[in-house]
Amino acid sequence: MVISPVQYIAIPLIAAFLIPLFGKLNKELVRIIPGLVLLYLSYISVVLMNQVISQNTMIVEIIAGWRPPWGINLVFSPFSGFLASLFSMLGFIIWMYTYNFKREVEDAQTEKFYVLMMMLITGTIGIVLTGDIFNMFVFLEITAISAYSLTAFYRERDGAEAAFKYLLVGSFASFFILLAIVLLYSQVGTLNMADIAQKMPDVNPYMKGVILMLFFVGFGIEAEMFPLNGWAPDVYTQAPGPIGAIFAGMVVKAGIYGLVRVIFTLFDVHEIFPLLMIMGVITMAVSEVIALRQGKLKRMLAYSSIGQMGLVLVAFGIGTHEAVFAAIFLMFNHAVIKSLLFLSGTYLVYHSKEKNISDLDGIGKSLPFTSFLFALGSLAIVGLPPFAGFWSKLYILMAAADVRLIAVIAIILAVSVVEIVYYFRVLHRIYFRERISTIEIKIPSFNAKISMLILAIVIIVIGVYPDLISGLIERAATDLLDKQHYIQSVLSVGLH
Amino acid sequence: MMNEFLMISFYGTAIALILIGLYATLAKKNLLKIVIGLSIADSGLNLLFMAIGYVKDGTAPIFSAEVVGKNVVMVDPVPQALVLTAIVIGFAVTAVALSLVMRLYRHHNTAAIDEIKNLKW
Repeated sequence: MVISPVQYIAIPLIAAFLIPLFGKLNKELVRIIPGLVLLYLSYISVVLMNQVISQNTMIVEIIAGWRPPWGINLVFSPFSGFLASLFSMLGFIIWMYTYNFKREVEDAQTEKFYVLMMMLITGTIGIVLTGDIFNMFVFLEITAISAYSLTAFYRERDGAEAAFKYLLVGSFASFFILLAIVLLYSQVGTLNMADIAQKMPDVNPYMKGVILMLFFVGFGIEAEMFPLNGWAPDVYTQAPGPIGAIFAGMVVKAGIYGLVRVIFTLFDVHEIFPLLMIMGVITMAVSEVIALRQGKLKRMLAYSSIGQMGLVLVAFGIGTHEAVFAAIFLMFNHAVIKSLLFLSGTYLVYHSKEKNISDLDGIGKSLPFTSFLFALGSLAIVGLPPFAGFWSKLYILMAAADVRLIAVIAIILAVSVVEIVYYFRVLHRIYFRERISTIEIKIPSFNAKISMLILAIVIIVIGVYPDLISGLIERAATDLLDKQHYIQSVLSVGLH
Repeated sequence: MMNEFLMISFYGTAIALILIGLYATLAKKNLLKIVIGLSIADSGLNLLFMAIGYVKDGTAPIFSAEVVGKNVVMVDPVPQALVLTAIVIGFAVTAVALSLVMRLYRHHNTAAIDEIKNLKW
């Protein structure tokens, strides 16, 4: 079979809808098929990434024979390809974790779980790969609808309430984005992102500002930007644990991708950068302080996740090549580390009703492996060497220092201290308290242990040898900043 | 004259629908009314998009024997295709929203949003 980017969307989407059918044949296939699909996607990621990097190009795939700007096209550029590869591989690791999901409890839910999970992953990959702004909206909605349903997955929790809240906020986000697309179409008469970018200088500046603000608010909601992130903590708390990892690792990253693709490639308006940075600083400072006050483990992780997204926005807002590089590096690190924290944290509070941090007292002795990985993730996310999180934070600080943003550096460092305080408080409870609670302990299954171990190894290896990945990220940053190359590559496809 | 009136009423209705929908979503306390509000706002947006695609004196954008080779003005087909997609998406979101409302109603025995607060809003 010829490998092409369209398989990223076609295969998981078909698989998602065939899962119930396979379930009729054999119950085990329901669990195996998603893994095979994600393994294949990881394989084509390696092949395509290799091709893109070694030939110094981007792969533009024409769908249904209509070449850009008329038809929909997929763009596997260093940046979008990097994210698509990250999502496929992370998806595979999370699948491994979920392999025995609910096996001992009930089997009927598994089908729904995997159908929705595959749709969620398809949606996020579609958002980053598509070259058509309306198509991006469609994928955003696929992501959103499966995300709402997965949030309400557990009937016994308050999932429906969190999901309704998410749906309400998410509908506003898609409303703003669709309105922006409608107005944009009325101005430029095209939906192809490269074509829009090319025609953007002719648009009336007032209209441009309105459309950009609509996109900013819409994608800001998806990217957990303050004050539009009220949905996030409840969603992370109520959704199944591995889905929390997918939200933090993929859904939010796709939102950030939409935001920066629109700002950097479509509009290329530098006046928005200070706003991006200020919103990032506020998001980061507010959410990290709120995280300090949380009594529930997953809420704390959720606010920490929002805080990290704020830091990503700050880095993109600085706007230099070094800063964009650091931002993409942080996106990668956060996806890996926060997934590890959600996956291991889920087991730490598995049977606890309230999921309180105080239930963790002394659990380090009963669950040594999981606790150790959680501790490793905590040390990595606050940015201590020799873990992966250290490098991204260092690069962001260096990028900020290059443009003399002393205040921003001071805030990032102050916020890091807050981060250290609340993560170390949890670690203190895990390791230095006596176990008094009588809550049953859940030993992770073998496959879950392997998946968490892989994430931990990635964190350490990237921490010790950041050069393994910095080459790819360097190219991704160049790709995002080089608007002309993007326009030329897309619009020249099929011109013979 | 007739045409201008048509255009103004198109845009006016679209904007009015959007505002009514957003108002219902933000101000109403009943979960069902909130979902209806979202749906109305969606319809308004779709109508706005249709109005943008309208070309003065245009006919339906279909290549048939009557129009081929003649100098016929057609309306822009792209917004129509997109609105069709947007309607389907809106339908799916409304369906999910209504199922969530049903579950909330069964769980709490009320559809008033300020009485459902197990989570912080």
